[in-house]
Amino acid sequence: QDMPTLRLSSVVSDNDIRAEAFAEIAEAVSGTFDMQVFNGATLVAQGSEMTSIQRGNLEMGLIAPQTIAEQIPEWSIVTSAYLFSDAAHLQATFDSDVGDELKALAADAGIHVLAPVYFGTRQVNLAPEIDVQTPEDLNGITMRMPGGDAWQFLGEAIGANPTPLAYAEVYTALQTGAIDGQDNPLPNDYNMKFYEVTSQIVLTGHLIGFDVLGISKELWDGFTPEQQETLQTAVDAAIATSTQRHLDREAELVEFFRDEGLRVYEPDRIAFRDYAQQKYLESEFAASWPEGMIDRINALAE
Amino acid sequence: MSSSPSRPTHILRTLADAVPATLLAVMFVCFIIQVFMRYVMDSPVGWTVEVCVIAWLWILLWGQSVSAEEQDEIRFDILYGSVSSGVRRWFRIVFSLLLVGIYAWSLPALWDFVTFMKIQDTSYLDIPFSWVYSVALIFSVVTILRYLRILWGAARGTDTGQSSVDELGRKDFTE
Amino acid sequence: MSWEFGAAVAMIVLSAIIGLPIGHAMLASSVFYLLLQGQDMSIAFEQMLTGLYGSYVLLAIPLFIFAADLMNVGSLSDKLLDFCRALVGRFRGGLGHVNVVSSLIFSGMSGSAIADAVGMGRIIINLMTKDGKYPGAYAGAITAASAIIGPIIPPSIPMVLYALVSDTSIGFLFLGGVAPGLILGILLMTMNAWQARIHDYPVEEPVPLRELPGITLRAVPALLMPVILLVGIYGGVTTPTEAAALAALYAFLVSTLFYRSVSLRLAYETVRNSAKSTAAVGFLIAGALAFNYVVTIEQVPNVIRDALGDTELTRITFLLLVNVILLLLGCLLEANAILLVIVPIFLPTAVSLGIDPVHFGVIVVVNTMIGLATPPYGLLLFVVTSITRSPIRETIRHLLPFLAIMIAGLGIITLVPDIVLWLPRLYGYGG
Ligand code: NA
Ligand code: NA
Repeated sequence: QDMPTLRLSSVVSDNDIRAEAFAEIAEAVSGTFDMQVFNGATLVAQGSEMTSIQRGNLEMGLIAPQTIAEQIPEWSIVTSAYLFSDAAHLQATFDSDVGDELKALAADAGIHVLAPVYFGTRQVNLAPEIDVQTPEDLNGITMRMPGGDAWQFLGEAIGANPTPLAYAEVYTALQTGAIDGQDNPLPNDYNMKFYEVTSQIVLTGHLIGFDVLGISKELWDGFTPEQQETLQTAVDAAIATSTQRHLDREAELVEFFRDEGLRVYEPDRIAFRDYAQQKYLESEFAASWPEGMIDRINALAE
Repeated sequence: MSSSPSRPTHILRTLADAVPATLLAVMFVCFIIQVFMRYVMDSPVGWTVEVCVIAWLWILLWGQSVSAEEQDEIRFDILYGSVSSGVRRWFRIVFSLLLVGIYAWSLPALWDFVTFMKIQDTSYLDIPFSWVYSVALIFSVVTILRYLRILWGAARGTDTGQSSVDELGRKDFTE
Repeated sequence: MSWEFGAAVAMIVLSAIIGLPIGHAMLASSVFYLLLQGQDMSIAFEQMLTGLYGSYVLLAIPLFIFAADLMNVGSLSDKLLDFCRALVGRFRGGLGHVNVVSSLIFSGMSGSAIADAVGMGRIIINLMTKDGKYPGAYAGAITAASAIIGPIIPPSIPMVLYALVSDTSIGFLFLGGVAPGLILGILLMTMNAWQARIHDYPVEEPVPLRELPGITLRAVPALLMPVILLVGIYGGVTTPTEAAALAALYAFLVSTLFYRSVSLRLAYETVRNSAKSTAAVGFLIAGALAFNYVVTIEQVPNVIRDALGDTELTRITFLLLVNVILLLLGCLLEANAILLVIVPIFLPTAVSLGIDPVHFGVIVVVNTMIGLATPPYGLLLFVVTSITRSPIRETIRHLLPFLAIMIAGLGIITLVPDIVLWLPRLYGYGG
């Protein structure tokens, strides 16, 4: 009989660690599913993975939590600064009853969450040689953040002046001084060669970067328990490997950037954390956060 | 073609053209604001990008339907421009039938998609995407009507379509 | 690849040949494909809408069109032409040289070959054909040929499109086009000098040296435009996308305040016409975005990559092969369609062969721009013949030597990546 077709759309590039993880999943389930991976946002445009799944035109997607939050405001909590302390805290949260609540909200919108997919911790990367210890030190610094008000707010929450800019334009903009800095996980700084045109990396660790690997809820419910088991097991194994590889890479890159002559240092993270959480609690975003959820997530940190 | 249009037609034409023209002007101003706020005021804004992409979408689809005239459309006219007017009439019958058929058949699906998109709002201005994308419905309906008219003209033999080789350079890129 | 895909491709080709506008042909065929596959027909529209909505870099297109239109109505083009005439008019085939040089300078402000041909082109064609100095077909041919250079020298709409499909930096692509553009300009002038000797084309009355300062002075605002753009982009004021708006603002200010040639009414008409051109060009992109979905879902790039992978191509043979394929496609397809639909098919293989994406991008843009002037389907050909009113056949005959030398230039650029890459590298490009 015909195997179910699972088309996965993601924005990661073909040589990304996550692309390898998806290929592993496709391989591991090949006896049960015909899984086709489309990376580089070639199948559906970035940000439309969720609606495409909801309309039955796509089976699986790597969905940004910011995209989910556009439909489910409660989800904006996981896009806020200094919520998770590290990748393990992220995973622990999704494995807990908090995770169950978030997953139930997504399921109501037609998305079954298979796993959070960690891709690195966002750090501030600056061209000017200033010393950054507190959010106040970032005042007046023009920092590129991804487009959309949730991302721009993240920039404000660490004290900077955020501006949206296409990813491919960032290198030139840093070089010409059109922007002073940008924030990304270290592997991105390496891939895009940002270290060539910047002087320092401030290890703010302001956001644990992750996307959600999701599948159509309707489709998932139609699978046999064996099929569900096969897919979930393959996902868990591949994503665990991927997360570890990202963590190893980040550790390696701190040394690499220092060798390249960049100043890499940790600022007063408590000051950043207090400033950011205060900003978020005062914002419209926090209004939609489930009562007490932030404390329960904090309690899950080790 | 050359007879001067009646007054109501002229007013409608002017209004139809004013929409994309205004949107382009808005886009231009937004870009200037964006550069000014970042470079001069050191206080960048993000909403300008959103206004610009919405304007761009509407300029395109409005411009190619409501305010489009046939000579504005880019076509491959090596064969179309060189055949006799009798043959060209048949070409026009065939392609307008094809286009009207396909756009009409897909119209319910398009309606379904556009209305579904009310589920999501734009990031800065919080406009439901159903409104942003509603220009696709305008585009589809107006295109169906426009090509029905072309079909009607071709079927009755009153309009065989002029050689657009002449029109291309004269009309859409000049003045 | 499925039979439905074959049917969709056949429909694009057939409906376009009988005169259905190309954007509609691509969009309707994508809908038709979904219908045959039993899929949701709205996907084609959705791809078009989300693709347009999400592609911020495309916003440079309407603004570059607007900037070029403003320069044409604001008489910046006229002043520039006077300057070029004083500069190179005195040599044999002088107006041919004027044509190329003015195109080179104008291309530093405009992002589109069609805008170049219509703007500067129309003015200089009138100049060349007046009193029967040059045959209309020759004037049209050299105008088409020099307009090709327009989008190779920055700014450039095709490079914006390439950046979109390849995630390459627009800033580096722009820099990469400078040297190839100048080289092609020199090749064209060489060919013009040769043709002028063969056909004994006239020289211009030399402009007296004492008039040169005045002419230059009047041309300064126009000559400053490329400088403004470069300072804008590389001086940290704007991104390359925003630079288009800066260009438009500058053209607007110069023509209203300095030349006083643009009234409010004329300004409105210019905006209106720019919006129309934007819609016409943009709709081709829209159609291509819809059809891209069909190409992707059929996994065409993978099929081609696997096929090419089996043949164990070297970099050079791959590049030459791509050039031949693109030149052939350029005879039949529209340049934007090639950039948006065909380039993504070859890009993965190019990357895996270690070909630099900026080098590849410049090659592809030069190639597709040559395609604008190759028969049977060449938008530039249609535009210039509509201005000169000479037969297409005649124009093509005069164009062939120019095309030949441009293709030779393309070959050189392909074989010597350093021509493209030295300037981006000078500016810190790591590739
Ligand atoms: Na140019
Ligand atoms: Na061609």
